[in-house]
Amino acid sequence: MSRATQTALVRDDRTLYEAAAGTAVGLAGVAFAAGLAALLGVVAIDDPVVGFELSVVFGAVLLALGVAVVGFGMASRLGYVDAAPQPSAGIVAAAAFTGIWVAVGAIVSGAVGLGTGGRLGVGVVSGGIAFAATALPREDIGSTVPAGTVTVLCGLSLVTGVVGPGWEQVLVGYNATLFGDTVVPAIVLFASLVSGWSAAKAYGGFGARGRNVGAYVLIYLVVCSILAVLVGLVAFVTVKGLPGLFNGFGVGSAALISWPFLTNGAGLLADIAGVFPALVGTVWLVIGAVLFAVPTGVGAAVFLSEYAEQGRFTAAVEVATNGLWSTPSIVFGLFGAAFLIPRFGNQKSLIAGMLTLGFMLLPLVLITSREAILAVPDEYRDASAALGVSKWQTIRSVVLPAAIPGVTTGVILGVGRIAGETAPILLTMGGGVLPAKSAAPDVLGSFQLSASPPFVSNPALLEATSALPYQLYALITAGLSGNIQNPQEYAWGLALTLLLVVLAFYAIGIATRYYFRRKLHQ
Amino acid sequence: MSQTDTAETAENAETAATATNRTDSHGVSTTAGETVEETRPEWTSYEAGGETKLAVDDLDVHYGDDHALKGVSMDVPERSVTALIGPSGCGKSTFLRCLNRMNDRIRAASVDGTVEVDGENIYQDGVDLVELRKRVGMVFQSPNPFPKSIRENVSYGPRKHGDIETGLLAKLTGRAEPDREEALVERSLQRAALWDEVNDRLEDNALGLSGGQQQRLCIARCLAVDPEVILMDEPASALDPIATSKIEDLIEDLARDYTVVVVTHSMQQAARVSDQTAVFLTGGELVEYDDTEKIFENPESQRVEDYISGKFG
Repeated sequence: MSRATQTALVRDDRTLYEAAAGTAVGLAGVAFAAGLAALLGVVAIDDPVVGFELSVVFGAVLLALGVAVVGFGMASRLGYVDAAPQPSAGIVAAAAFTGIWVAVGAIVSGAVGLGTGGRLGVGVVSGGIAFAATALPREDIGSTVPAGTVTVLCGLSLVTGVVGPGWEQVLVGYNATLFGDTVVPAIVLFASLVSGWSAAKAYGGFGARGRNVGAYVLIYLVVCSILAVLVGLVAFVTVKGLPGLFNGFGVGSAALISWPFLTNGAGLLADIAGVFPALVGTVWLVIGAVLFAVPTGVGAAVFLSEYAEQGRFTAAVEVATNGLWSTPSIVFGLFGAAFLIPRFGNQKSLIAGMLTLGFMLLPLVLITSREAILAVPDEYRDASAALGVSKWQTIRSVVLPAAIPGVTTGVILGVGRIAGETAPILLTMGGGVLPAKSAAPDVLGSFQLSASPPFVSNPALLEATSALPYQLYALITAGLSGNIQNPQEYAWGLALTLLLVVLAFYAIGIATRYYFRRKLHQ
Repeated sequence: MSQTDTAETAENAETAATATNRTDSHGVSTTAGETVEETRPEWTSYEAGGETKLAVDDLDVHYGDDHALKGVSMDVPERSVTALIGPSGCGKSTFLRCLNRMNDRIRAASVDGTVEVDGENIYQDGVDLVELRKRVGMVFQSPNPFPKSIRENVSYGPRKHGDIETGLLAKLTGRAEPDREEALVERSLQRAALWDEVNDRLEDNALGLSGGQQQRLCIARCLAVDPEVILMDEPASALDPIATSKIEDLIEDLARDYTVVVVTHSMQQAARVSDQTAVFLTGGELVEYDDTEKIFENPESQRVEDYISGKFG
């Protein structure tokens, strides 16, 4: 086997072949995006597109892609184009196509009614053929023909309507049914990924450059799909939650802005049920946990990295803190219920919840603060010591300011986790399912001075309080009924509010980190 | 170097070359540049004119099992520049760090012997390290300003020592002295020949300065606590030639008011800026200590001559 042609060092004009392959990559990308949209329910597979159902159009596109990909390979193999394929497509591609074709063989043979043994046999045979077809011939055939044929098969199944809207398959032994509106997008995603990769290799002229372009397209498409899932998740909650969140929202009139969902309780007196008590509860909960965990965590980190002798003791503490960070939250909740509650008036209370979440937050703050302090260059410490400045003053005025961005990162991550935590506050904080506005904790206004110990008391901290994740959980377990008009809408609004509160804490943290980074570095 | 000197050097080189491959009477094999030579006490017993600022006597330093400095004794005269030269790993930086007890910060280091600053031994019980380091300041090899503003960098030492009060409490109680701080910052920066370049941007972060400016800022920071001795550990090794010459000019200038001890890898630099030079050679020995001119023109030790003429190290 000889290399087809010598490639030029500089290629300034785009050949027809490259243009065609580039178009195919683009088409695969569009199909992939449309498949994602169909999977996330943005479009339906039986929507009409230019007179045909969407799934049939998908099939036609895949058919064209498959044929084109095989054509690219053939054109290169027959020497019509300027490409630099290697002797083989490689073992990784061969293994991947073997797996794909075993599955294809088994599914197709199952569809025509073969038994388990028959399916296995056909699968192994088609897998073996695919392995040979990928690994043995030159790269331009090995990485296009198996990919192209599987794409053609997928396209055929959609064009002919073998799989389409209304299709369903009961999975024997799994008590589950597959429906066309999930399977069709899945087929499209899979086939466009495979053919997109193959077309990208053809675009790069196979060889090292082709593999580079192929890997790039593959990674790009997968990253896009991950992002799409994330965006889809947030969009789903937002779309479902917006009606509840803006129920009765108005600008003007008595107050400047009237936002009953956020400012009302859910009592009988409220005309529009709101989440005010739980919202305030969550905010206080996070503030309390941070106030507890940050000073103790940073203090411990300073001791461990600046004062303690590095050795067995610090290693043991490190293992213990890592272990605590991965401890399930329900265990923290049980600890809070068994240890804290008897010490704070023997009932579920806001302060018990704050401390429990503070305990959960502590290990992460400790770990990240320690990393941040260790990352502060020793030169700063040396410089400060050489000026005759004491160790503690050095830590306070040089080491800690330089470590603040790292510490903030830890707090951001930790707050993201604890703000949405349900299990610990279920056990330690309680609160009503649908608390009235009066149930919102008025922490600042409840401090009371007294002449006898403890001199300062705060009843608001000692009362059972609701928080957003707990209220959501309680609503769902209570069966989404109760004294509110539209419990479904209310619950989704609640979920969106929780999401926004967590994002708001994130934003505060990121702004803080940005501020201190700027201060340190310019 | 005159022509006769050059001829002499060439002659010495020949001698060294013949010595290279022979085995001496004790059966110790010698390799290039490591001629076996006893260090003679009179080579290091240089008596400089003027008051003695630092007196080092029989100083030994061990890092664990490693004997880094062997019985070094030397007197550093006041208001002068003393250069410490020698190949890598010869203990010159270790020696420098002993002079303000920065070696205390390395756990494995142990120091024996005495170092006297103005006649007071700093290796005895009850030495106030804060006071010592205020009097014996240090500038490091790579510029290490704090990630703070230029002003805060300079006033850092005095603030932390309580010489200047700036905080909120000081402002509230009327004890803040912004004018004094301003004057101190200006004086220090001017002394470090940096004022003209930064006086319009004192609030900018010091990390935005160039390497040479950062090093001069570190010198200004050191000057702000008003030391008597300034130790410099290869202050120009990370800098370009122009920045280096600025630092060298500054060192010469500082020697009018301060006692400067500078470690350097550059023989030319030592010859240019220093009044007396101490040569450390491999093994942590002080081999020769004398007037800089004497060391570079006519050293007593053959090894020092080899080192200076570039035969090893």
